[in-house]
Amino acid sequence: MFRRPPAESSLPPRQLQWMAMAALAAGSVGLDPTWLLGVLTLALLLLAALKLVEARDRGGRRLVSLLQLLVCGLQAAQLPDLLPSLVQLLAAVLSLAGLLQLESGLATPWRRLLRQSLQVLAAALPMALVLFLLVPRLEPLTAMPAGPTGRAVTGLSADLDPGSIATLVDDDRAAARVAFGDDRPPPAEQRYWRVLVHERFDGRRWQRDDEDEELLRREPGATEADTGLGSTPEAAENRDQVWLAEPSRFTAVPWDGRGGSADPSLRLKPDGELRLLRPPIERRSYRLRPTAAPLPWQRRPPSPEVLTLPAGTNPRLLTLGRRWGQLPDPAARVAAAQAWFQAGGFRYDRRPGALPERNGLDVFLFESRVGFCGHYASAFSALMRAAGVPSRTVSGYLGGNWVVPVGGASYLELRQSDAHAWSEVWLPDRGWLRVDPSGWATAAAGEGPAAAAERADTPQAQGGWRWLQRQWWGLDMAWSRWWLGFDSSRQEALLAWLLGGRRWALGLVILIGVVLGLVAALVPWQLRRSRPRRDRTARDLANLLALLRSLRLEPEPGETLEALCRRAGQAYPSLAAPLSELASSHAQRRYAGPHGRHRAAQQATTRWRRSLRQLKQARSSAIRQASGSGP
Amino acid sequence: MRSAEGGDGSGGTGFGWPGRFGRVQQGERLQLRLRNLYILPTSFGLLWLGGALLLQLVGIQTQRNGPLLLSFLMLTLQLLALHLTHCNLQGLELECARSEPGFAGEPLTYPLLARSRHARNAIRLRLAGQPAAVRSAPPRRIPAGTSSIELPWRCDQRGLRAPGLLLISTTAPLGLFVCWSRWAPAARQAVIPARRPGPVGRAAPTGTAAGTAEAGAWSEGSEHWHDLRPHRPQESQARVAWKALAQGRGRLSKVFLDPVGEPPLLMPAAGVEPERALQHLAAEVWLRSRRGEAYGLVLTHQRVPPGEGRQHRNRCLLALATAPPRTLPSIPG
Repeated sequence: MFRRPPAESSLPPRQLQWMAMAALAAGSVGLDPTWLLGVLTLALLLLAALKLVEARDRGGRRLVSLLQLLVCGLQAAQLPDLLPSLVQLLAAVLSLAGLLQLESGLATPWRRLLRQSLQVLAAALPMALVLFLLVPRLEPLTAMPAGPTGRAVTGLSADLDPGSIATLVDDDRAAARVAFGDDRPPPAEQRYWRVLVHERFDGRRWQRDDEDEELLRREPGATEADTGLGSTPEAAENRDQVWLAEPSRFTAVPWDGRGGSADPSLRLKPDGELRLLRPPIERRSYRLRPTAAPLPWQRRPPSPEVLTLPAGTNPRLLTLGRRWGQLPDPAARVAAAQAWFQAGGFRYDRRPGALPERNGLDVFLFESRVGFCGHYASAFSALMRAAGVPSRTVSGYLGGNWVVPVGGASYLELRQSDAHAWSEVWLPDRGWLRVDPSGWATAAAGEGPAAAAERADTPQAQGGWRWLQRQWWGLDMAWSRWWLGFDSSRQEALLAWLLGGRRWALGLVILIGVVLGLVAALVPWQLRRSRPRRDRTARDLANLLALLRSLRLEPEPGETLEALCRRAGQAYPSLAAPLSELASSHAQRRYAGPHGRHRAAQQATTRWRRSLRQLKQARSSAIRQASGSGP
Repeated sequence: MRSAEGGDGSGGTGFGWPGRFGRVQQGERLQLRLRNLYILPTSFGLLWLGGALLLQLVGIQTQRNGPLLLSFLMLTLQLLALHLTHCNLQGLELECARSEPGFAGEPLTYPLLARSRHARNAIRLRLAGQPAAVRSAPPRRIPAGTSSIELPWRCDQRGLRAPGLLLISTTAPLGLFVCWSRWAPAARQAVIPARRPGPVGRAAPTGTAAGTAEAGAWSEGSEHWHDLRPHRPQESQARVAWKALAQGRGRLSKVFLDPVGEPPLLMPAAGVEPERALQHLAAEVWLRSRRGEAYGLVLTHQRVPPGEGRQHRNRCLLALATAPPRTLPSIPG
C-alpha cells in the first residue's frame, strides 16, 4: 500500500506561503488565458498551490517558493502597470519570507521574518540594479505569438458604417492615456490619434485589412526602413510619448502617425496603422519618440484599391465627384469639395437617424445633410475617389482631456467618447494628407471636432470618483514613463554617457559594480552580527548615566541607581523628583519580564520616558539659572 | 525533490555530498574557518539558477523590465547566499565537553561546547552511522557566546567510545548552498555494558571461600521475607500484613531479614559468557545502587572495595565499561 511519508516535524507552518499564493492569485486577475504565457503562468500557479498542499518536507516547500517567484516574474512580463507591479512586489517579498522561514526555524516571529527578508532584498538589490542597468539587452529570439483573441471589448469598430447608426451614444470609458516628455499637451492641430485605416469601400461601409495578416511579421532581411519605426535621430527627445492603451479588439494602437521606437513588438503597417504584438485583451503600454522626418507610410504611393468605387451605388455622388475630377490639380479637387461642403448647409449632429441601405451617402449629401464624423469622412472619401483622388478613411481619437494630477505625471486622457473618423487623401507632391471634413459642417456649441480639439487645453475639474481615478492614473503614468521607458535605447544612452567610446570596459564596470554591491551588502551584515545588541532598558540606563555625567555625577563603586539618584537629587534639588521616579521605574522595567511585553513593563517604560523628559527640562533650566547667576 | 544535503527526512545511508567530501578534522577542538569549510550549491540552488535563467529568457522575449529585474535579483541573491551560508559557519568553535557515562544500546548524549561571537541559525549537527531518527534532528540555533550542545547518539559496544564522524552543516539563509565541515571529535565517552538482569557471582570477603556468603547470620532488614509478628504502633503501615488482617488474624507486621556481615563483592558469574556476565553485573550494580545497598566489585583488572552512593556506582560502572575483553576471571562453580 502506498503511504504518505510522515511530515518533517520541524517544518514551519504554511501561512506565509499561502499568503504569497493569495497575492499571486490576486495578481493573476487580468492575465489573458488565451495567450501562451498567460496559460503558463496560471498552470504554474496551480502547480505551486498543489505542491504546497502536498509538500511534507523542506525540499518540497522550497520548491513552492521558487515556483511562486517564477509566477511572479511571468506576471511581471504580462502586467507591468503600477498596481499589478505592487501586488507582484508583495508576492515576491512574501515568498522570500516563506523561504527564509523554512531555514530559520519554527519560532521566528513574523515581524523578524519580514524584516529579515527585506534586509536580504535590500542587500541584493544594488547588485541586481547594476546588472539590470548595465548588462546589454538582447533582441527577442523569435517573433512573439500574438493576435486577436476571442473576447471582444467595445471601442472602435473594424468597419466604418455611419449610415447604420441612428444615434451616437457617448461611451465614457477610458481608451488610452499618453504622457509627454515635457509635460505639455501637443498643439490642437496635432491631437489626431490614428488607430484604424479603412481602405476597402463597398458603397456603404469602409473596411480594413484583417488583423492576423502576415504583414506584421518582420521579414528576414527586412530593414528598419520597411517597418518605419527604427531608432531615428532624436528630433525632440523631450517629447517622448508614453502610451497606455486600455484593452480593445485590435492589436492596432493609437499614435500620432509620426514617431519612432526601438520596441521590437511594435510594427508599422504600410497604411500607417501601428500594431503592438501583444494580446489586445491586456492593458498595453509602449513608448514612441517623435521624429522630424516623415515616415515611410506617409510617402508610400497608393495601391489601386484606394481608387475603387463600386459602380451603381450613390449615382449623384459619382456625378458630383466626376465633375470635380475634371479639375487638373488634385489639390484643387479637395478645395472644391471643401467649398461645396461649407456652402452646403451641413450640420454636425450625433443623432442623425439611420440612412437607407441603398444609396445612403446620396441621401446624406443631397437630402438630410446632417451627420457626425463618420458620415463626413465616409462621404468625402467616396467623393474624392469619384474625383480620381486616392483616399481612405481613418478612425481613431481626437483631442482628449489634459489631466494634471496632484502627484505623478500629467497626461492626455482619451475616452471612447473621443472616438473620431477623418479622411486621408493622396496628393502626388505631398503624400498622404489628413483632411477632416467634419470641421466643415456647422456644429452646436461644445460639439464637433473643433470643440473636441480645444477641450484638451482646459484642465478638467471634476470631483469624486473621477478625480480619484485621475490621480491614480497620474501615478500609473509616472510609473510607466519611468519603468517602461527604460528600454534598450535608454540603456544605450546610459552606456554611452557612462563609458563614452570605451565599450570594451563594460564587462569591467559590471564586475566592479557587482563586487562593490557585494561588499556593501556583506560589511554591514557582518558588523551588525558581531556587535551584540543591548536591550532597550540597558541603553536607556546608559543614556541616563551619560546625562548625569554631564552634571559631574559619576556612580561610585558599589552604588545602586537609587543611591546615585538620591545623591544627584541632593546636589540638584530641582531634579530630585524626576530622578527618584526614574530610579523606581528602571527597577520595575528591569524585573517586570522579558522584552518589555508585560503590561507593567510598558507602564514603567512610559513613566521612564515622561520622567526623562521632565529631567531634561529641569536640567536645562538649572543650567540656565546657573549661567544667569554667574558673573 | 531531494536536496543535496540529503538529510531532509529522506532516509538514505549518508548525507549526500557533504557526507563524502572534505578532509575529516581530528582533535578535541574544532574552529571552523576557510580551510576546513566546504560549500556547494544544493539541488534547490541549481533549480533556482535554472529559474533565474528562465525569467531572463522571458524578459528578453517579452522585452519587459519586470522579469529581467527579478531574474537579476535571483542571481544576486544566489551570490549573496554563497557568502551568507559560509559566514553562518565560519568562526564557530566547537569543543568536546566532559561526558557522563551511559549504557550501551540506550540513548546517549555527547556533550559539546560551542563558542560563537554572534547567533547562528539553522546549524545541523549529525553523527554518521546513527539511526535515521537520530540523524534527522532539526537544525538548531546556536546563540552568541558559549553554549552547550548535547548530541544524541547510540552505541552498542561498551568501552570508551568516540561517537565517530560528526557532520556540521548549514543551508541557511535561503537553502541555495550547503556549507559543511567534517570532524571526528576525539574525546571518548564511557559506554557501560547494557543492563541485563541475570546471575552474578559473589567473591568471598577477604579470608573466606569465594562464592559463599556467611551462612546463618541474618539481621532484621528489608531484603528477604522471614516471618509475621504482632504489629506495633510505631511500625510503618507498609509493614502491615493486609492479607492476614483480611483473614481475621489480627494486625500483624511482616518481618524481613538481611544477611549480616560484610557487603557482597560482586563478580562475573561463573560459566556465563564474559561480555554477558558484565551486562548482568551492570544490571546488579544499578539495582543495588538504587536500593541504597553497599556492594563491591571484583574484576581482573580492578577491584572496587565495597561502598555505596552515586560516586561509588559510577566507579563500578566505569570499571565494567573499561574491563579488558576476554580476561575476565571465571570462578569454578
